[in-house]
Amino acid sequence: MSTAIDPLEIEALARIMDELDYYQLLNVAPQANSADIRKAYHSSCRSFHPDANRTLPDDLREHCGRISKRITEAYCVLRDTRRRKAYDAKRGENDGASTLRIQIAEARNAHVEARKSECRGATTQGRQFHAKAESDMKAGNFSGAIQNLQMALTFEPANDGFKRVVAELKGRQKAGNRD
Amino acid sequence: MAEIAVGIDLGTSNTCVSMMQDGQVKVLDNAYGERTSASVVHFHDDGSVEVGNSAKAKGIHAPAQTVSSAKRLIGRYHFSEEVKKAQAVYAYEVVEAANHGVRIEVREEEFSLPEISAMVLREMKQIAERHAGESVTKAVITVPAYFNDNQRQATKDAGRIAGLEVLRILNEPTAAALAYGFGMGLNQRVAVYDLGGGTFDISVLEIGKDIFEVLSTCGDTFLGGDDFDDRIVDLLADEFVGRFGINPRNDPYAYEKLKLAAENAKKALSVDEETRVAIDDVMKNDAGEALGLERTITRAEFAQLTQDLVMRTFKVCDEALQQSDLTVRDLDGVILVGGPTRLPIIREAVAHYFQQEPRVDVDPDEVVSMGAAIHAASLVGEAQDSMLLDVTPLDLRIGVAGGLAEPVIERNTPVPIEQTRTFTTFQDHQESVQIRVYQGDHRQAEDNTLLGQFEFSGFEKGLRSDVRIDVTFEIDADGLVNVAAADQRTGEAASTRIALSSGLAEQEIEKIIERDLAGRVATGVAAEKAAGEQIQPIAVAGEEPSAATAKVAVDADSPFGDGNEDLSTGREEELDLDGLDVEDAEFDLVDDEELRQLTQEAGDDFLDQDITLDVPAGADASEGFFETSVTNLSGTDLDLTEDEK
Repeated sequence: MSTAIDPLEIEALARIMDELDYYQLLNVAPQANSADIRKAYHSSCRSFHPDANRTLPDDLREHCGRISKRITEAYCVLRDTRRRKAYDAKRGENDGASTLRIQIAEARNAHVEARKSECRGATTQGRQFHAKAESDMKAGNFSGAIQNLQMALTFEPANDGFKRVVAELKGRQKAGNRD
Repeated sequence: MAEIAVGIDLGTSNTCVSMMQDGQVKVLDNAYGERTSASVVHFHDDGSVEVGNSAKAKGIHAPAQTVSSAKRLIGRYHFSEEVKKAQAVYAYEVVEAANHGVRIEVREEEFSLPEISAMVLREMKQIAERHAGESVTKAVITVPAYFNDNQRQATKDAGRIAGLEVLRILNEPTAAALAYGFGMGLNQRVAVYDLGGGTFDISVLEIGKDIFEVLSTCGDTFLGGDDFDDRIVDLLADEFVGRFGINPRNDPYAYEKLKLAAENAKKALSVDEETRVAIDDVMKNDAGEALGLERTITRAEFAQLTQDLVMRTFKVCDEALQQSDLTVRDLDGVILVGGPTRLPIIREAVAHYFQQEPRVDVDPDEVVSMGAAIHAASLVGEAQDSMLLDVTPLDLRIGVAGGLAEPVIERNTPVPIEQTRTFTTFQDHQESVQIRVYQGDHRQAEDNTLLGQFEFSGFEKGLRSDVRIDVTFEIDADGLVNVAAADQRTGEAASTRIALSSGLAEQEIEKIIERDLAGRVATGVAAEKAAGEQIQPIAVAGEEPSAATAKVAVDADSPFGDGNEDLSTGREEELDLDGLDVEDAEFDLVDDEELRQLTQEAGDDFLDQDITLDVPAGADASEGFFETSVTNLSGTDLDLTEDEK
């Protein structure tokens, strides 16, 4: 496959890549619509995708590889309304010191946080009983832990995290009795 | 000089090789004039090996020495469902290797799955060399889009063992779309419905002239044409049990006969409304009488038997469409791929689901290898450019405290891509961390496929609030995963890039290649047993320097080792591993005792962090490191830090 791109351009882009935001990287305006973004992604891929650079010397291929991965990242964020919104907000706050990237899986983090709170309890009482259950478990007092978790469940009847733990503790108790 | 690169569709049931010649893509036939060859390897008593349709035919007489459907097992752990199923169904021995790997045992010799697949690939290499008249060393090999990293890596290893430089591991539906759309200047959205022998994939693509962008892909690596055959086998076996009170499933020979009859019946039902199965001698009863079976199967009956399988494919299609934010009305075309899509019941169901007649103008058995050949030629500059922009089929996750696996790169993210996440240690002054990487869609770590794990200790030790470890995840254009860790503060090159486990360690692969080059003429047990006998080389002319290849290309009219490929031992050694030199990417295996200790500590400390009760049941972590990791999924020493910036 032939590549039309100038080696100097590759080197330059590899050097300044970290200072570019996703729009600059894809060479589109911040107002660009999704069709423009997609077009820009395709055109960047033509230059930097690994398949387009098989014949280049190793060092240039490596540069292209790095650029290609960053281009994909930019596309992933900008093509998705939710992610793009989050990115635009972050970009607006940016002081110029930090890199202009976000995690593409960041949107899921909120979800993870929710799960963590599910594990620890979402209400004051739920958290209290859950903390007691934790100390019970540390002390090896499984039945105490179960009781406390069941109390926690009366405040958070829909807390699947608590339910899972109770079920597991009961299983463990049974297994213990068998031994 | 023109560089030759071929495309190989390494299928569960059949394998097909194609090549671009004079701007045309050609499916290459084998010495028998067959355009596809069965992905079956038969081991002869003298230690030689036969591959293809003739090998498949031998399966009836020697099922235990005939390995089929290796693709169902490649890159799997021994404890996986698929392996259990294979053990129940196949007559050949499936045994466990170190690190929960899988080996096939034939005639007291063990083979890894990549070795078996390499034998099939070598056959393809040979076919291509016969057509090209010269050595063929470069190939694009296709895999189901839904293959995970372990399966892709194992397939790539197979290519290397077969003496091929694998230019690209390409997804089958993507290859099919390329074969359809190449050079046509299309502007379309298409779905590729790919039902193979053992796997099902659906990919939704947007084709814009020479750019083929995959919008989403979904699949089921446990669903294929074999399952349709199995339904007929069950019907026949149940009938046999009802009539004679003997279960033919317990007799490998009888079972092979039923399987072959079922496959033929299935094919017949593609053409006819009904077919009659008649086997004179399924098996003998205790008195030595041959017990036969006759049964007529109608298309309607077959449709009913397999209705749930067809429905399962559409559930996967629903998901793929949803992931691409499209409905069937947005699609301009539906491409059928894979032998089973010849079945009228499937064609009708597909037409109904997608509300349009599927396209069938390219042979569904050949279209994937044709696409692979087009891409191969374009990679070596022998065909017009076309960009394939593919996606990763599964979430890539890292194991974190609480037995959970946090997604880092979500499925259907385009590749190549790289993401970096920052972590801290689980405790103050912790000496090292275990980094575990998974693929799959589940929150619970253990419900996903473990790709590998490694220990990282090259960071500045300190309070857990101070330690910052950057873990970088990369998925390359082959869909292969690499993970590296580095200390954020020192920025030191303490980073070690580690290719994750493929089941075969680098040294093992090298050993296999070496053994193949030097000793495959008469290997291991076979050699010792057959000492003094005339032993033919395994059909592997492929392996060679071009001088030897030229000979093969001229002489190899006979497909299977008539001695022409006989490479002198001297020459084989000369070959060495030229061009296959790969850096020594060893795992730093964790000492079991140390790991147990770590896990124990981590386990004790979990309750501070996250609630988890997975007290390491894996205290018997004594075998290999996978043993440990699998039982100790909860023993994670990493915890996500709060947001950095």
